[in-house]
Amino acid sequence: MQPVGMYSRDRCVTGVHGLDEILRGGIPYGSTVLAAGTCGSGKTTLGMEFLVRGANAGEACAHFTATEPSVKLLENIRQFGFFDMKMVDTGLINVFDMDVLYSWLGLEKSTFDLDDVHSLIKSIVDIVNTIGVTRLVIDSVTTLCYKIKSEQLIRDFLFTLGKKLATLGCTTILIAEITSATENAHWSSFGVEEAICDGIIVLGDIERMGHLLRFLQVVKMRGTSHSRAKHAIELTPLGVMLTPMLKWGAISDNINRWGS
Amino acid sequence: MFELDQGIADQLTEVSLNSSVQVRCGNSNSFMVTASTLIPLLQMFEMKGVYISASRGAAEVIQAFESVGIDVSQIQFIDLVSSGILGGTNVPYNNVHFVDSPIMLESILLRTLYILQTNQSERNFVFVDSVNALAIYNDDRMLAEYLHTFINTFRQQDVLSVILNVPDQTPPLVLSNLDLYCTDLVDRGQVVIH
Repeated sequence: MQPVGMYSRDRCVTGVHGLDEILRGGIPYGSTVLAAGTCGSGKTTLGMEFLVRGANAGEACAHFTATEPSVKLLENIRQFGFFDMKMVDTGLINVFDMDVLYSWLGLEKSTFDLDDVHSLIKSIVDIVNTIGVTRLVIDSVTTLCYKIKSEQLIRDFLFTLGKKLATLGCTTILIAEITSATENAHWSSFGVEEAICDGIIVLGDIERMGHLLRFLQVVKMRGTSHSRAKHAIELTPLGVMLTPMLKWGAISDNINRWGS
Repeated sequence: MFELDQGIADQLTEVSLNSSVQVRCGNSNSFMVTASTLIPLLQMFEMKGVYISASRGAAEVIQAFESVGIDVSQIQFIDLVSSGILGGTNVPYNNVHFVDSPIMLESILLRTLYILQTNQSERNFVFVDSVNALAIYNDDRMLAEYLHTFINTFRQQDVLSVILNVPDQTPPLVLSNLDLYCTDLVDRGQVVIH
């Protein structure tokens, strides 16, 4: 029940175990969410499960991969029971290699200028519009932004892309690689992605007595109240599973947990 | 050969699926108490379950159960010990799952939830063997918090939780919290030598 006068935005139900509870129902439709994480923290699996759950509900989904070839991505994701190759075969999940897209657009160069950025945005938006994509993942926006040398251009790229995708009703996850997910870390490599996006989900590891425990934390999500607590995650054959992280164990060993 | 403690089976008839049973035992009778608890759960109540093995490797536990005729095919084991031993995870059982360390408390909970989701049974139990073994690795406050979360998670899902502990090896804070959270107590902590 909503309080009188309270407006609730429609949600894109992620279908990821526990994440919709954290987000009080899901990601507000049309949002651009930054999933920023350290290596091996589960970013790609989270992004792919987000698409699979959408495809299960009959939504058209797209995945742009810049970090690994699509063949390798699909081989890695096939080990998860939640993924079915039929979704790709039937066109519910569309996987695009960014390298191939660059080649189509004649963008086989190390640095993008303003025109290149606009050309890239147009082609992504055209694909989304043509297929009727409602869930999109770009993995990773960091790799893509390495080709855009100015912060202002990165800001323009992300802002324009996000705005156009939102107009088309597409909920987007931009995966970002970060080197640290500790308390003082930035949630993006270039420092601008986090300001532009509607939401930020941080994935990382906590070191506990020499063991790495994966965690997920929703730092920001416009248009919904949400938990901001750290949650432990496991990547299981059924998909990502979450549980609230123990309060007495939520700080890495390198920070004095017991306060003595 | 040992005699099963029929009193435990009688006491288990009083509990419901959303109960949490604290089972206290001593060092010398822990296997008898464990077997006397598991046999009625498997045979009388026809339950499936998850056995969290923090005291010994799962293979050793399975062999001990099989030696007294307990069919463990309806139990999935989560082994918290063997990953710490090089080559320890090389076991001939397909119902054994491994978690790297007893310190990965949240992973143990998530792995248990995952197994229960794939279990295809409406009558499930989770057996923790044992709190005192978990206490070797984990801080008292964290363990007390964990057991609070663990027990309430499974109560909410109508999964019977059975928490084994040797009281004189369990930190007082954890023990007093278990008294608070658990709905039932099977107390075999005092061993009477005839």
